[in-house]
Amino acid sequence: MKALGFILPAITVLAFLVIIGPIAIVVLAAFSPTEFFTFPPPGLSLRWFFEFFRLDNMRDAFTLSLELALSAATCATVLATMAALAVVRRRGLAAGLLQSLFLAPLVFPTIILGLALLLFYKSLGIGILPGLILAHVLVGTPYCFRAVLTSLQVFDFAQEEAGQSLGAGPFRTFFLITLPQIWPGVLAGWFFALIVSFGELNTALFLTGPGQTTLPIEIFSYLQFQGSQLVIAAASALQVGLILVLILAIERLVGLARLTRS
Amino acid sequence: MRRLAGAALLLPPLLVFLVFFVCPLVYLFYVSLHDASQSELYGTTVSFASYAAILRDPFYATIILRTLRTAAIILGLALVFGYAAAFTIARMTPRWRILCLVLLLFPLMVSNVVRAYGWVALLGRRGVLSTALRGAGIIDAPLTILYTSDAVVIGLLTILLPYMIISIANSLAAIDRSYHEAAQALGAGPIRTFLHVTLPLSSPGVASGALLVFLLTLSAYVTVTLLGGPQAKMLVSLVYDGVVAFQWPRAAALAFVLPAVALAAAALIQALLRPQRVSGRGR
Repeated sequence: MKALGFILPAITVLAFLVIIGPIAIVVLAAFSPTEFFTFPPPGLSLRWFFEFFRLDNMRDAFTLSLELALSAATCATVLATMAALAVVRRRGLAAGLLQSLFLAPLVFPTIILGLALLLFYKSLGIGILPGLILAHVLVGTPYCFRAVLTSLQVFDFAQEEAGQSLGAGPFRTFFLITLPQIWPGVLAGWFFALIVSFGELNTALFLTGPGQTTLPIEIFSYLQFQGSQLVIAAASALQVGLILVLILAIERLVGLARLTRS
Repeated sequence: MRRLAGAALLLPPLLVFLVFFVCPLVYLFYVSLHDASQSELYGTTVSFASYAAILRDPFYATIILRTLRTAAIILGLALVFGYAAAFTIARMTPRWRILCLVLLLFPLMVSNVVRAYGWVALLGRRGVLSTALRGAGIIDAPLTILYTSDAVVIGLLTILLPYMIISIANSLAAIDRSYHEAAQALGAGPIRTFLHVTLPLSSPGVASGALLVFLLTLSAYVTVTLLGGPQAKMLVSLVYDGVVAFQWPRAAALAFVLPAVALAAAALIQALLRPQRVSGRGR
């Protein structure tokens, strides 16, 4: 038993090291002053970040990813909030099926969703940009759905009835009574969808096209075909930085406890 | 009025999901049931040729077996590491627990391509580990682990481990303390209490974590490609190769072999673990 008291924390520390270590290495590599990454680095510099914004394809991929994440997360949040409002009061088989449908992209192999969408878009003639937005909406919606559903489960619907019996229409009831009480969930869902969309990789793999690539796909093709240049590390570090900023925003606006629950 | 509002709310998300999630998958299945064509996405004859070719070809069998073996190794390691870490985290004070869970959620938000890149930088021949170990005189030759199945196991294990830890830690934290006290009052030692009380009560978390890790292992194309290289291809790599070669029906059929394998494995995990739905009040 004594030994176990030592082994368990040791395994835990090791687990955290191997989970976070690779990300830390990439961020460290991004600040290298040298042509190739050496450890420990001889100093720190921002040259690879300047290089990143100097390269057209990198800058375009970054902008596209940001636009895509913002629009997809917003669409996903609207859809997920509607879905959660519609599902939360239903019971029985239909409710269960609907919930599974809206959560399905979470567990469904995303690369297969990407392939299915590619064929579907090809036969319907849907363009690259709308196709990418749709794919990112599908991937982001489950996260929002779960976050909104969690906050709706503690919402007292008698308040909605009170509002309606006092003459407020469904829209006024929603915006004046329901939304102010569930907005932490809605906001957390939006942040989640934003982060997921910004890092989305497997679904977008087949859906990007020449000149219209997202940042993760651009990083992937650089790694695959041009070896590990440190400008990739800078691109990765920018992504990590953005996520850290968003986590801080969630902490400030809705509290971190909500993040771990939904 | 109420029902009308409910339907109006449900309709837009339901339509989006039916048209852009269910329809494409049905269409993919439809494509997989046709023969190949030079000019079109698929030929005109309905056939099971793509599925038959996959089942008959020993090359596919080798890759499917390798995929299953790799996934099983990753799952086994994830269970051991995940349970140990979750057990430690579940016994922390709520403040520390939330901090640890956020530290685990953060890597999940970082794109897998970035996390795989980190392992490329660590494991490569001129990578951080290779240089450090050689500098310390522990090994003489550069590390040759990158572009092998081992690198895929290490990379995917660490990428997916947070799912397992979070899932188990949540179910451990939900166990009512009084069960432990009751077991101990009845004379069970810590090991018996763990085996007969804690472990069965945490089985829903173990099952959902195991399911998630297994499913995500099967579909992790980017990690497998970056860390395994051309030598350690898995089932998902074949789907990609089919697309690149414009063999649409073949790629579509392979895309359905993948979830079929996943479903079989999911059923197995459920049957083995028989997650018990005993809920406690938690702490």
